[in-house]
Amino acid sequence: MPRLTIDGRTVEVEAGTNLIEAAAAAGVQIPHYCYHPRLSIVGQCRMCLVKIEGMPKLQTGCTTQVMKDGMVVLVDDDEVRAAQEGIMEFLLINHPLDCPICDQAGECGLQDYSFKHGQAFSRFEYAEKRTYSGKERIPLGSEVVLNMNRCIQCTRCVRFTEEISRTGELGLFQRGARTEIGVFPGKELSNELSTCVVDICPVGALTSTRFRFAERVWNLDKIPSLCSGCDVGCNITIEHRRGVVRRYKPRTNPAVNDHWMCDFGRSTFGRSAGSRLTVPTVIRDDGRRAAVSWKEALDAAIERLGRAEAEEIAILATGCVTTEEAFLLSRLAEALGTTNKSVLREVDRKREIPNPVGGVSGDEATPNRRGAELAGLHPGDQRLRADELVERDGASQCRVLVIADGDPGSRLHAPEVVERLRRSSSLIVIGWADSPLAAVADIVLPAASHVERDGTFVNSQYRLQRANKAFPSPTGVRSSLAIVGELLGSFKEDWSGLNEQAVFARLAEHVGAFSGLTFDTIPAEGIGLQMVAGGAPDSA
Amino acid sequence: MAFEPILLRNAGNPAVHEVSGYRKAGGYEALSKALAMEPEEIIDAVKASGLRGRGGAGFPAGLKWSFIPKGSEKAKYLVCNADESEPGTFKDRILIETDPHQLIEGCAICCYAVGASTCYVYIRGEYVAPALTLERAIADAYEHGLLGEDVLGSGFALDMRVHRGAGAYICGEETGMLESLEGRRGQPRIKPPFPAIVGAFAAPTVINNVETLCNVPHIIGRGAEWFKSLGTDERNTGPKVYCISGHVERPGVYEYPIGVTLDDLIAAAGGMYRGRALKAYIPGGASAAILSDEQSGLPMDFDSLAQAGSMLGSAAVVVMDETTCLVRATLRLAKFFAHESCGQCTPCREGTNWSEMILARLEDGRGSESDIDLLQRITTNMSGTALCALADACVGPVRSLVTNFRPEVMQHVEQGCCPLPRQSIFEPGAVS
Repeated sequence: MPRLTIDGRTVEVEAGTNLIEAAAAAGVQIPHYCYHPRLSIVGQCRMCLVKIEGMPKLQTGCTTQVMKDGMVVLVDDDEVRAAQEGIMEFLLINHPLDCPICDQAGECGLQDYSFKHGQAFSRFEYAEKRTYSGKERIPLGSEVVLNMNRCIQCTRCVRFTEEISRTGELGLFQRGARTEIGVFPGKELSNELSTCVVDICPVGALTSTRFRFAERVWNLDKIPSLCSGCDVGCNITIEHRRGVVRRYKPRTNPAVNDHWMCDFGRSTFGRSAGSRLTVPTVIRDDGRRAAVSWKEALDAAIERLGRAEAEEIAILATGCVTTEEAFLLSRLAEALGTTNKSVLREVDRKREIPNPVGGVSGDEATPNRRGAELAGLHPGDQRLRADELVERDGASQCRVLVIADGDPGSRLHAPEVVERLRRSSSLIVIGWADSPLAAVADIVLPAASHVERDGTFVNSQYRLQRANKAFPSPTGVRSSLAIVGELLGSFKEDWSGLNEQAVFARLAEHVGAFSGLTFDTIPAEGIGLQMVAGGAPDSA
Repeated sequence: MAFEPILLRNAGNPAVHEVSGYRKAGGYEALSKALAMEPEEIIDAVKASGLRGRGGAGFPAGLKWSFIPKGSEKAKYLVCNADESEPGTFKDRILIETDPHQLIEGCAICCYAVGASTCYVYIRGEYVAPALTLERAIADAYEHGLLGEDVLGSGFALDMRVHRGAGAYICGEETGMLESLEGRRGQPRIKPPFPAIVGAFAAPTVINNVETLCNVPHIIGRGAEWFKSLGTDERNTGPKVYCISGHVERPGVYEYPIGVTLDDLIAAAGGMYRGRALKAYIPGGASAAILSDEQSGLPMDFDSLAQAGSMLGSAAVVVMDETTCLVRATLRLAKFFAHESCGQCTPCREGTNWSEMILARLEDGRGSESDIDLLQRITTNMSGTALCALADACVGPVRSLVTNFRPEVMQHVEQGCCPLPRQSIFEPGAVS
């Protein structure tokens, strides 16, 4: 591998690496706008000009590949700084200087580089800047709005639709200082990844209809986590202000979603803000629902479980449960002596995210059906398994049916399914959403939503990844893990009061696929579970 | 100045538009001779002749040809650049209109030498008549076996096609032209890779100007030594077609050995318009630095003009007399570049536009002295930082204005208006 020196730091990179990446490897930042590691290299913004020993002119870092040993590159250099200042000036002369009312402020490439590489004054003495009259808020599609006045013509968005989504809706029109971005006539930006162009836009030209002007970005707390929209398991950042989630942003993971995520996934950010269950309730003997204390609700549940014959109890989860919750549910079934424990597989439309290793796809509506199965909620040959309960009359043979409910939109909430499940003599629902199912349950145990809990998920690639709690649940709500832990603890004392780490540790002991792993050492980019012949991992 | 034209020798003889007439005038003999030579010998002869590209950059043609990889199985292309969009340049049009077979012959020899089997002539969209003339000549050449499956029975196959542009200066930039030829938006590519390695349709490609290729039959026919006997020195050889426009009595194309002086050219063009005094001149098209009357004795060749801080470029000589306001003339040029910038890269997109704005206010008398320094700074920031040469092309005249003619610019600032009455070859109202 060739070695090169950048600002006196020597670094070894693979042949063909461009200077922006090579510099990053050496810990030197080369400013850039048009360059994006997943898009074709166009050398247009000219911000990445650097000095290379032996070259008569400055060269763009993005277009220069390291091919052989001995290249000497200077970024910290007067000539380079002068060029950066010059480019910044060119970019700013026709750019509005109204950051306080721009939605991008706080996460803007122009702002950041102005501080770092720009000048503190303007030499542009001209009454009027170039503007694109009437093009201040053009909807490019249902998700994205363009303000042409803020565009710096880096063409990242155009290249995204050409090269990543491969839908080609966007193009460059006009030329020179009138160059503009737009959709081709008769088209609209309607691909499933369309909001990614907002992420890669370095300025405030492209904004998301779901987020624009909803919040100043510096007010947002950002927590790395996972999207729960499907079984692809896109890595995301949950961005919220004091418990109000404002958006999901993709978090780069080349093995899964790379730099991208789909519009549908982003749209799920508001799920946890829906109608919530906040207090435990039970239906009393008089047939009326009453809010009760946690102790009363749990005692009622434990009492009903304890009274029923083992084979008259069934436990059903949706794929929204974490692997740890699923494991505890499975142990609860075992403690009660029933084999009726299963997870529901909800097939949905196929979703695909491109990445450098061939892409990832998923066709289920829930994020962790696989993790739940591995943790013991088998779709095996037990009598009262998920499809028996949901599609047929299985519930009528149940004395007690415990359900770990899903997000709104779950198959469990369809009226005919609610009616079938209600045929069980007793119905206990653990969930966060005030769903049609919770509305008919005998005992309702309100749980933390997706953004309020820690846990692991196994995506369609059988990759184990961690979701993180962004903020605490509303008062009175407990995590599903704690709730199931209480139920289980009353039958098996040594299983009570376990946290995620402890549950995962026992999971790793019991289930081969997780053996050797610990909750806290799962890498940020996740880890592939050991696969055995036949595709699915060994679940011992 | 007496000179027997070489490239324009058939001007005034419409019979040469047909293969038979061109042959009668000695045409296609060089092609027959070339087909009997080894390709390598042809490249060597062109190298030895010292022929430099006539499109503007003056890159040695033989050297360019030798960059084409040999023995590669890949298709190779010749693209003849007939986009001729540099303001003041009209020689290629005349060359095609007067003698289309001379170009076809030059292209055929080049293709044989580099192993290309397809030649595209990318011709400026506005050149409708030349395009039709060339298309007819190509059809005639096919009929006579000068193009097609088996050129003159040699077994060498060559296809030649005319591709008309759609009206953009930037498509005269060689990689912008390739993009346009391939059906995409005309904007330059990143170099390297150079077209000789990755050119049209990602294949090795030679790109030569019309006039460059028109010289080739003569080099093959009469020898490199003869070619070298014309011109200033070893590095500036052969005949050159100069386009003279502006304040002269008879604007037009004039052919001389490369390296004549401006004074010679003005004399050939019938002297200064109405006998007025020379003030300044552009020696090589809109992108060349403007030179003053004191520099009218320079040999008009590549190296002499480069030394003087300007360039021969496409040898589009624009003569400006004492009635010309140079701020206004430069403004017109800057306006052209701002209009023609493709817009993909920052220094060009913003710099050409900004230069135009500043020049406009200087010309209107609303400028200040600091504007002159600002122009200097802007041109410095545009110079050498852009993706292609268009930004530098704009820098050429703008910077020469503020360095060579600063007193005239200052007059505008001090008097608060243009000191010269608005009468010149530039239409009033064309600049606003």
